[in-house]
Amino acid sequence: MHSLAERARGALEWLLRVAVIAILSWFLVRTILVQRHGAVEDAASATLAQKLARWSTVSSPARVHVRIDHPPAGRERDWLAALPGTGTEVDWSGPSLVPTAISVEPRVDPARGADVSVAAPESAMVVLSDTLGVLDSARATRTGIRGYVPKLRGTVDAIVGPVVARAARHDSLELRRLLVIGQAGWESKFTVAALEERGWQVDAHIIVSPKGDVHQGKIADIDTAHYSAVLAIDSTAGRYGDRIAAFVKQGGGLVMWSTAARARGLAALAPGSAGALIQDEGDVPPDSAPRSALELVPITSLSGDAVVLERRGGDVALAARRVGLGRVLETGYTNSWRWRMAGGADALARHRDWIAGLVALVATSGRHAVPAAPSDVAPLVTLIDRLGPATKATEGAALDPAVIARWVFGIVCAALMLEWASRRLRGVK
Amino acid sequence: MSQFVFATAKYASGDWESAPSLPEAVIDAVVRYTTIDIAPTGVYVDLSSHELFNFPFVWMTGHLPVRFTDDERRNVKQYVERGGLLMIDDHNHDITGQFHKTANEEIERIFGKMTRLPKTHELYSCFFVFDDGPPNTHHELNGYGDDLLHKYLDAVLVNGRIGLIYSSKDYSSEWNFHAETKKFMQQDPTKFGVNLIVYALTR
Repeated sequence: MHSLAERARGALEWLLRVAVIAILSWFLVRTILVQRHGAVEDAASATLAQKLARWSTVSSPARVHVRIDHPPAGRERDWLAALPGTGTEVDWSGPSLVPTAISVEPRVDPARGADVSVAAPESAMVVLSDTLGVLDSARATRTGIRGYVPKLRGTVDAIVGPVVARAARHDSLELRRLLVIGQAGWESKFTVAALEERGWQVDAHIIVSPKGDVHQGKIADIDTAHYSAVLAIDSTAGRYGDRIAAFVKQGGGLVMWSTAARARGLAALAPGSAGALIQDEGDVPPDSAPRSALELVPITSLSGDAVVLERRGGDVALAARRVGLGRVLETGYTNSWRWRMAGGADALARHRDWIAGLVALVATSGRHAVPAAPSDVAPLVTLIDRLGPATKATEGAALDPAVIARWVFGIVCAALMLEWASRRLRGVK
Repeated sequence: MSQFVFATAKYASGDWESAPSLPEAVIDAVVRYTTIDIAPTGVYVDLSSHELFNFPFVWMTGHLPVRFTDDERRNVKQYVERGGLLMIDDHNHDITGQFHKTANEEIERIFGKMTRLPKTHELYSCFFVFDDGPPNTHHELNGYGDDLLHKYLDAVLVNGRIGLIYSSKDYSSEWNFHAETKKFMQQDPTKFGVNLIVYALTR
């Protein structure tokens, strides 16, 4: 009669024998599958560099799977992309990678800043930094993030989680002059002043009387060789209508105050018509919304290709359109000078920036390529371009066959030794 | 608010209203010679009020001592720095007079020493051409006041642009008449006023 302990040991020995058979069977099937489909190895971002060296020297697996938690450096990415050439298929997964892209465009502005646009998933936190450190951070909206960097040092990074999109400026701009045309008045005076303070060289034709006007600078032919943009302050600019139209079609920029759209020669270029004047109340332009206190000649009857850039209440205050190779921006704020004169402490600078911003939206310039630091403006896109789309993480590909064989041998030996020892200790052969 | 409005400065001290007909005479000249959109009547604007900043050209005159209040001083400084043009004219045409001394002290306190405008400055050629600099007034020529012919105007320059003009020429007396009187004059004495306004509006 066997005791309870002996029956338990017998059961354990039986289980060990079953386990050994099961492990050997699994290993046999896996070996057959590997021989049929090839070996699969994998790597994580942290071990990728070591694995790449191994896959290129010690072993040459049929397939590798890389679990990426941050986009690999260019060297590693290129190395991975080259592996298929040696017979190793590469796939990858990276569920934490966020699609991110960055663009840096030099602004047509003497301040030499740059417009930075970042595409990222809505509400993702984006950190902008340049070579010297963090510039700013913000949550992405539905249309991403758009910002202005006054001084660009080296490259600009948009960091979204583990993804770093990097861009550098590739162009140097050659600015032409600006031409301001309008009736003598505060808007023309302060527009010229703001642009000159910004660093623009400004020619002006200010209409004073039928007998004599005020000219600033030697007004040249209105073409893109001489001017980056023309600013038409009011309908008196209509006397240049044909030449301005030819300039815009050639690629030049035009900023027109909505009252200028009343001029026959300029109406065809305007994004819209001039509506009825909404007088200002003489209030101090508030810092929070300075243009809310300005008089407005709303832009109405928009042309089909016009893009609204700003509204005040239900009225269109800024609109733009393309004409030929050039761009036309129309503003309904016809006394923006009050912002500069009567606004808050930093009104002078903010008005200057605003006027310069309007010009930058349309102005043209010569461009020269400059040597730029290496960049990766859309790391995930580049990765997909080089390696193909991501796949799901491959189950069971975590261990390479050599490691598995050692573990199988060890486990089987241990189980058989235990089973043999158990039998011997209770006197069974 | 886009229309040019001739504004005369009110200040706490002195007799700021001493040339009540001057705006009318200058406005008449601007209408007569230019197409500038100008309001038919002038306004008075308090130097200490924020309303000052709605009028980028302001005329200031008087006979009596000028002592700016702190608010006036702060506003005048900011006004000039932002692009306004303040024209100060000594109604006494007397450099030993109280207006001249005190007004110059105030200007120097706010801006430092003024610059003497050369006769070639564009102020004298931006519309009408005055080859010999600022035109003389009958009060200078008749020996009133300090009995001097002041050949230059002084100015505060901001980025090369005139932000403040100081005149000892007494245009406040010269131009202080009803506009219809011009038909009895051989020459319109307010032509230089047109230059002041054209300069203010275009530079």
